[in-house]
Amino acid sequence: MSIFNSFPDLPGPGETAFCKINQTYCCGNVRYGNITTFTNSTKQHPKINVTKDLHHHRLSDENITMYVDVEDNLLKKITSVWYKQGFLEALSVAADPNVNRESQVLAITASYVLKVTNLFTTLRYFMQPHLKDIGPKIVSNYSRTRNWSSSSVKCIAWHPHTTKIALATADDNVRVYCSEVSFVSTLKCKAQGHVSSLSWRPYSASEIAVGCEQGVIVWTVDPNSMFTKPSSSNAVVLKRSGHSPVTDVSWSPNGDLLVSCSGADTSMLVWDVGMETAIPLRRVAGGGIVFARWSLNASKIFAATSSIIFRVWDTQQWTPERWCARGCRVVAACWGPKDMVLFAAKSEPIVYALSNSGIMNGAKTTKAQPVVDVTKVELPSGEAVGGPILDMSWDPTGSYLAVMYEETHLISVFCTTQMMMQLSVTPCCFISGIDNEVPTTMAFQQNFTEGACLSIAWSSGRIQHFPIIYTENY
Amino acid sequence: METKSKIFSQRLVKAVIWNICLQTILAILLVFFIQIDLIHPITWITSTFNDIFSWKMSLNIVLLGLVSCFQAYLYGSQYSMPVPKYFTRISMFLNMFSLQNIIFSTLYALNGYFTMSLYSSLAKSNFNVLKKKCENYDGQCLIEQSLFLQIGGMWMGLHYFTKSHLFGAAVLTFPHIYQEKFQQIKLVISNIVSMGFQHSITPVAYYCLFYFVWGNKPRSVVSDVYSLYLEDPPLDNIINLISSGIWIGLWFYASLFFISIYTMKTVFNVVLTEPMKFPIESNKDMTLATALSERLQFTSYLGALDLKNLSRTDPARRGQIFTLSQPGRHPKNWNNLLEKCLYIINEFNKELESINRDSCTVDNGIQSKVGFPKVAPSPTRYTGSLRNMASPQLLELKTQNTTIVDDTLATAVKDEFNSFLQKLCQKPGISYFFGELVDTKLKFILIQAQPVMWTCEGLAYIVSSSLKEDQYGIVQHDLPTVLAAFVSLKQNLDKLTKPGLVPRKHILNDALAIKNRSALLSAVKRSLYKIVLTFSKYIHEIPLDPDVLTAIQPFILCKEP
Repeated sequence: MSIFNSFPDLPGPGETAFCKINQTYCCGNVRYGNITTFTNSTKQHPKINVTKDLHHHRLSDENITMYVDVEDNLLKKITSVWYKQGFLEALSVAADPNVNRESQVLAITASYVLKVTNLFTTLRYFMQPHLKDIGPKIVSNYSRTRNWSSSSVKCIAWHPHTTKIALATADDNVRVYCSEVSFVSTLKCKAQGHVSSLSWRPYSASEIAVGCEQGVIVWTVDPNSMFTKPSSSNAVVLKRSGHSPVTDVSWSPNGDLLVSCSGADTSMLVWDVGMETAIPLRRVAGGGIVFARWSLNASKIFAATSSIIFRVWDTQQWTPERWCARGCRVVAACWGPKDMVLFAAKSEPIVYALSNSGIMNGAKTTKAQPVVDVTKVELPSGEAVGGPILDMSWDPTGSYLAVMYEETHLISVFCTTQMMMQLSVTPCCFISGIDNEVPTTMAFQQNFTEGACLSIAWSSGRIQHFPIIYTENY
Repeated sequence: METKSKIFSQRLVKAVIWNICLQTILAILLVFFIQIDLIHPITWITSTFNDIFSWKMSLNIVLLGLVSCFQAYLYGSQYSMPVPKYFTRISMFLNMFSLQNIIFSTLYALNGYFTMSLYSSLAKSNFNVLKKKCENYDGQCLIEQSLFLQIGGMWMGLHYFTKSHLFGAAVLTFPHIYQEKFQQIKLVISNIVSMGFQHSITPVAYYCLFYFVWGNKPRSVVSDVYSLYLEDPPLDNIINLISSGIWIGLWFYASLFFISIYTMKTVFNVVLTEPMKFPIESNKDMTLATALSERLQFTSYLGALDLKNLSRTDPARRGQIFTLSQPGRHPKNWNNLLEKCLYIINEFNKELESINRDSCTVDNGIQSKVGFPKVAPSPTRYTGSLRNMASPQLLELKTQNTTIVDDTLATAVKDEFNSFLQKLCQKPGISYFFGELVDTKLKFILIQAQPVMWTCEGLAYIVSSSLKEDQYGIVQHDLPTVLAAFVSLKQNLDKLTKPGLVPRKHILNDALAIKNRSALLSAVKRSLYKIVLTFSKYIHEIPLDPDVLTAIQPFILCKEP
């Protein structure tokens, strides 16, 4: 029997779930219902709805065609392409008979040079096949956000110490919402394109790292400042050749080191942001590093590659332990208390747990334990749930696990308890969207004291805060 | 040199051994690749082995050992002396010609010469010897190419010396994460090779230019001394030089020289910056507190780094800090450690304060002249039967502190002379040479900020882990002191960054110093956040100074940028 059958029933038609208080699953009318009738815990939370008209005009690859082409002379054209897009593009412009009608000699030379370089590129792609995709394609391939390239919210991140949330919108702006102030800071600079991930720096009120195509941008947003659009002088761009596009950034829980990963780079970089220096961590095999997760006490890093290999790095000696997933690459992983990590492989409906890897229990024989099977089923109400996992999130206390699925659109939340190094998973509740909303991405609030609060970005651009309140004396 | 710790010298020796091994491997690889012969692989391999085990190779290894000992000496003296304090252009200029630098430049030139001849002999070129038998005359002729290469080697050594010692800052940078040595070397080796080939281009070009202009002089000297003839076309002609192709050889050997120097630099850095574990209490080994107490020395760097690491990852040693001494039940370990940490932080703070005070000197100067001369209170003698509890030393100290102003002719003349000197220094031409350089003082202070960062972070982590691990509550007692020290450091750093408050001479132009400043500020803020957030529930129960309390208020509210 599937675990989903023991979940509480979905809210009826015209109703939606607002929160869960102790064992009560609180639902209300979609239009008139209000979460404040059940709890005041999210009253101060910023109310966010990212509508399309909020987006600023973006100069992307698609709307370049909107502009009328101006006829320049050939040399100017080539130099401008060289300046903007690089040498190879300039060569292809020079070799293109439609553009270059004036100088035949140049066109022929350029085409021959192009052939030689193409030979090298094919050889390089043959050796390193993971480099084949270009920037945004890599990000959207590996992103844990549903429809990353077209969704209105690309990623969200809660501040570790205060009620402050940052979200990256489709126009690659990062918007910072705070519980105390009504205005929204919008972070935007020229280098910030194709934002893939956000991470607030622990033990700092102002610093946020943004992973984007060029590299990592670390913003310092003064919480006392009234500027809604901080200038780009508050941003530090950290980049390195070959490390692009950045698919994930994460701060160490101590707030001193920043790890950035790129799906196209076989090494992950550990940055000392103050000194702007990076040290690469690399081992043979595995392809590009897709994402990395720090354990809660900063003693380990889980690094997933684009192949079945993943590694658990020890942060004292900086040596990895190599693991292989069955079948496919790891899509999502999250750390909980006592150094336990949960992970899920792509297109497989099973969550695995890995704890105390290799130290306590006689080293070599440790295996990842499957903890919950989320095979796709149809509920009595007709909704489908489960299937291959898209994203997972574990609340900071390690008591609730939220799972998002690739093919079905219900988010399922499980209660998790750790006893004697064993994880027991019990059903908690489902969260569904209003009308045809589909969950895009989600994150647990980091400083919610009354239980856990899951924030979900729906495809409509609405951000829902779903508190799961648990009182001791209940 | 000998004042420095045993640890440093041990590591230097270790580095030399590592370096010799690595350089030998490099040399063997070079021999292997130069003799490449795909058609006759067996002869290729046998001839390589013959060469490797020949007396020439062993001589070369001895030479390599010598060279790396030179380097170790250079490194030792480079890192052991505190960063020079040259605040005027003239002192910087004079320093270039110090005895030490002259010795160094000679050593480097010799190093370049040896390395060059070593590699050229390994490569089996015929440019090792200066003499050959003349073809057209009867007698000995000069091989100018070898002369060109040998002087070139010295040139490269001198070039590297000027670039890295005279115009570069010699700061040992510790990596923020320390991987295994082998991994570190593996990561940088390809970078080193490409850098070596790139960086040798400019000195080779300069050298060719130099030889074109002055090349005939050394040639004539050498041919006079050895009474040699010259039968080949002279190399100080551009066309001859290019057509002889010797510049390619020079470039190749110069690249090898740079590669070997960079390799050595990396090996030294890797070996020297290895973190080390100091015991908390020990009778024979150096303890953490002793290591920390050697301010500005190499050991204090290691100590501070160890403090940071232990505060996060070593519960066993943390537990030792929180224990009481037996017998006596005193928190000796903690007090000792805290004293040393606070000393590091406060000393640094004082230096910053003196910089900050500079900006206010103008006002103070006016005030002291206008204000009434202070009357030193005469120490009241205790009379009668009351015993004097204050130690007489304290009284003496007090009297010394009050400045005695005596108006004699000598002081007046002295003042006049000083003010005249100051005026003179402000004249354009003179101030260029003798005026204090912008930002050098601040730069000098900030470059030493690394151990302060580690100390702050380490102390903050120990303090916050004390909430759960400290059974006797010994850390709690010192919480206000720690917070006060952090707050005052933060305020002093803030003053440096506030625009308008900083006088022009302290505006930083140096990228490294600017980064150091922001990194230090960020470290101090993080440390404050760490303590404040950990103790957030009890923060109002800690007996804090009102000033400190107001200063940490934004941290409690999570509003400090």
